[in-house]
Amino acid sequence: MKLNKEQMIKLYTNLVRASLYDKMMYRRMLQGKLIGFYHPAEGGIAPGVAACTFLNKDDNLNPHHRSHGITHMISKGIDVSTFLAEHTGKDTGCCKGRSAWHFSYPDDKVYQQSGFIGHNFAPTVGWGYAAKTRAQGQVVMNCSGDGSYGEGRAHESMLMAQNWKLPVIYWCENNGMAIFTTAKEMHPTPDISSLALGYGMPSVIVDGQDVFACAEVALDAIEHARQGKGPMFVECKTMRYNEHDIGTPDLSGWEKRSDEEHEKMRKREPVKIATERVLADGILSQDDIDAINQAALDEIQLVEDFADNSEIAKPTEAELMAAVFAD
Amino acid sequence: MRTITLIEAIKEAYQEELRRDPDVFMVGQDIRGAIFPHTKGLVDEFGPQRILDTPIAESGMYGVALGAAQEGLRPIVDFMFGGFSYVTFSECSVTTGQYHFLHGSQRSLPITMTAGVGTGQRLANDHAMSIHGTFAHHPGIKVAMPSTPYDAKGMFKAAIRDNNPVMIPWHMGIMMLKGEVPEFEEEGGDYIVPLGVADVKREGTDVTVMANSLQLQNAFKVADKLEKEGISVEIIDPRSFVPFDLDTVLKSLEKTNRLVVVDEDWESGSFANTVSAKVMEQGFDFLDAPVIRVTLPDMPVPGGYMEDYIAPNVDKIEAAVRKVLA
Repeated sequence: MKLNKEQMIKLYTNLVRASLYDKMMYRRMLQGKLIGFYHPAEGGIAPGVAACTFLNKDDNLNPHHRSHGITHMISKGIDVSTFLAEHTGKDTGCCKGRSAWHFSYPDDKVYQQSGFIGHNFAPTVGWGYAAKTRAQGQVVMNCSGDGSYGEGRAHESMLMAQNWKLPVIYWCENNGMAIFTTAKEMHPTPDISSLALGYGMPSVIVDGQDVFACAEVALDAIEHARQGKGPMFVECKTMRYNEHDIGTPDLSGWEKRSDEEHEKMRKREPVKIATERVLADGILSQDDIDAINQAALDEIQLVEDFADNSEIAKPTEAELMAAVFAD
Repeated sequence: MRTITLIEAIKEAYQEELRRDPDVFMVGQDIRGAIFPHTKGLVDEFGPQRILDTPIAESGMYGVALGAAQEGLRPIVDFMFGGFSYVTFSECSVTTGQYHFLHGSQRSLPITMTAGVGTGQRLANDHAMSIHGTFAHHPGIKVAMPSTPYDAKGMFKAAIRDNNPVMIPWHMGIMMLKGEVPEFEEEGGDYIVPLGVADVKREGTDVTVMANSLQLQNAFKVADKLEKEGISVEIIDPRSFVPFDLDTVLKSLEKTNRLVVVDEDWESGSFANTVSAKVMEQGFDFLDAPVIRVTLPDMPVPGGYMEDYIAPNVDKIEAAVRKVLA
């Protein structure tokens, strides 16, 4: 589906926001202002922005674990102030400070961040089943990386989604890396999307560094699912600039990733590519772009202030015990 | 009152709850064709969308329930055999148990899980293992197991109506056990048996035996035999393991001062150990003798005739009762 100007501006804005949010998270981790760990997304933020910018509030989303879902959630329109508060152990956190980074926004149909990679695939079938049963055009955007497709759950999920023609988009953000290990070694064919062939599921491969190209495919896939035509597989070929999570070495296999590889990757930086495009097409001026950046920085400052000004959650053991079961 | 089997009682619970609440549905493997009779004929009344068969893919199958429950539906998951739940244990125990708590009490998961369990069928370990102790060990899931048709129907209905995840297996050894169950249309026919409430199944004064499901039937036999010798056995059916009704056990011990815990599960890490420890900590002054446990020895359950050599049975329970009285 061809994008109009308004859509391109929305995508560009979200891409800038996503990039700056990711950098903020990276910085806070180094500052000791985040609990747990952080898996940076730099270099691979375009697919998530494209997948989520045009979702409705009642569409299900499984955000990617990279960026801890923040780039996906802001693109879906979720206020992530309470996410940062959660990630800093505060009582205003979306999960009352209990979860570290296992965020959940059920009202926005983001039900879980699991500690298990590939555990998005099983409940995805349930979300799809509910969507199909209710028949109100709801779709499921299931974002995860190439590594997650090693899980047998991916097979089980795609098998059932295709059997039952569930409205699910398997949005594979293939950055070629799972911690240190390359997809080249761990997947027998060049494309993860080759898996879809076996189920008779339509699939598309797209340049994951180009947010606009990704979004055109996303809109097609969302439309396909909404119309009841069943699941679709989208593979975005993308990159990971940083180490797996902050503090781990930057390896490929067991050897350091080369400077040449980094240089090559940096040439295809998604914000740079998108900026060149909007300027060349006359969609935005440099002044517009500066304003978008400033607005994003201001927004992030408010999110950080909210988290920093909140109190550390200090429930008693009895209060926690009372929360194990629902009424 | 009419008499039906335990497995029929479970089926009636499904039927009545499926009729009562359109959000209730069932997912499993070969439940339409009814590999066990508790689902026989359900598809005819409720259709294949609500009596949903999946491929042999336990994670995906459980995922239907997990995702649908997050969406507000109320799934019943049938694992067929209890051991099969372990294929998707990270979802059905870890993820499910932590869900409400970890995510800030925003959503609960009203999922009912069930499966046939237990020794007696000579099917060997993966088809004979008990699962209640393992599920009880991991927080956040209610765990119960019925011993009579009346309890089965009432407890399954309570589980389906509960807003929390509930694992409620049933023992294959008492599948055809008959008992009185009121008709739905009768006065009090739409009843539930609340989870977390133990039941004194037989009153006695000399020794308390805690037993459940097939082992409850064995305990009855022991009590009948010892009664002729003038030994009065009180029998408590815990019914639920989580939450556990310790008060009923302690109240009994005030009277009998002696406890045998029968648990068809491996000794190490068993629910019997939990009961023994709780009684030691909270009921020590009631005890005239150490608590004795009758469990499976710590070995994989062998198949064939060898199951008979190791499983808790009448002789083992009788020996334990005599020992605690000695």
